[in-house]
Amino acid sequence: MVKVDEKIEEAIKEIFSGDKPWVTIVWDDPVNLMTYVTYVLMELFGYSREKAHELMMKVHTEGKAVVSTGSREEMEHDVARLHEYGLWATLQRGDQAI
Amino acid sequence: MTDHDSDEQHGFHRHGDNAFVAEFSESEREVLINLVEQIIELLGERTDNHVDDPLAAMVGITTHDSPPEDEVLLRLLPNAYADQVDAAEFRRYTESTLRGKKYAHSTSMRVTLKSSVDGIIELDHDGANDWLGAMNDIRLALGVRLKVEQTSHEELELLAPDDPMRGVYAVYSWLGWLQESLIVALMDEAI
Repeated sequence: MVKVDEKIEEAIKEIFSGDKPWVTIVWDDPVNLMTYVTYVLMELFGYSREKAHELMMKVHTEGKAVVSTGSREEMEHDVARLHEYGLWATLQRGDQAI
Repeated sequence: MTDHDSDEQHGFHRHGDNAFVAEFSESEREVLINLVEQIIELLGERTDNHVDDPLAAMVGITTHDSPPEDEVLLRLLPNAYADQVDAAEFRRYTESTLRGKKYAHSTSMRVTLKSSVDGIIELDHDGANDWLGAMNDIRLALGVRLKVEQTSHEELELLAPDDPMRGVYAVYSWLGWLQESLIVALMDEAI
């Protein structure tokens, strides 16, 4: 019998799950205007004003919000664009605790 | 984040489909030019050191993989990952591009200010986005110096008249108001 330990199990899981989703997180910042954060999310991601406003409010009240989900490359692209406009953003694996 | 009331003065307003117009006094124009030039200078301080490797220079790989030590530069060029190893790797491949984009926003703002006649600024949608990015970088920089992270707005409002930070806070607030007026004009689609 092959003994499957946690590490192997994890590796096998990864093989079958393909490119696990990554997430882009925007963090609250005392400088950025609420309307500016909303505008940048509409402009960069094409979100409706309602969706962008909702995400902005989540950042404002909870300190952070996931603003996009995708492959690692896509999230790196999103973070770079958010940095270009001065939003405080990071990316990480979607299954990691935020 | 902060909320801003943009009713009292004029700031930017929309002219037709794709023009955003504001009028500045000579002193306001000078303040804006001075501030944006400081951002341009600051970004230029973190130059790349890849003379030995023209290929790396061409594809935008920098020798920087550690975050800037200057607090303001660190806020303008933040880490993309909480993990330090991933952050360093990402920075090595992308920081130069990010600096270039910020430099382009600031330069665009500087050019329109320098070439304005009678203090009138007219921007199209792309120009407005450049201005928003550049004004935001200035506010981020001033915010670091004002320590807005650790200081309440009430405390900043109550700075002594002879405190140099009082003037900095006044400029910071004015820029916030100006930025807000441009965003309101951009989001106002009902013409």
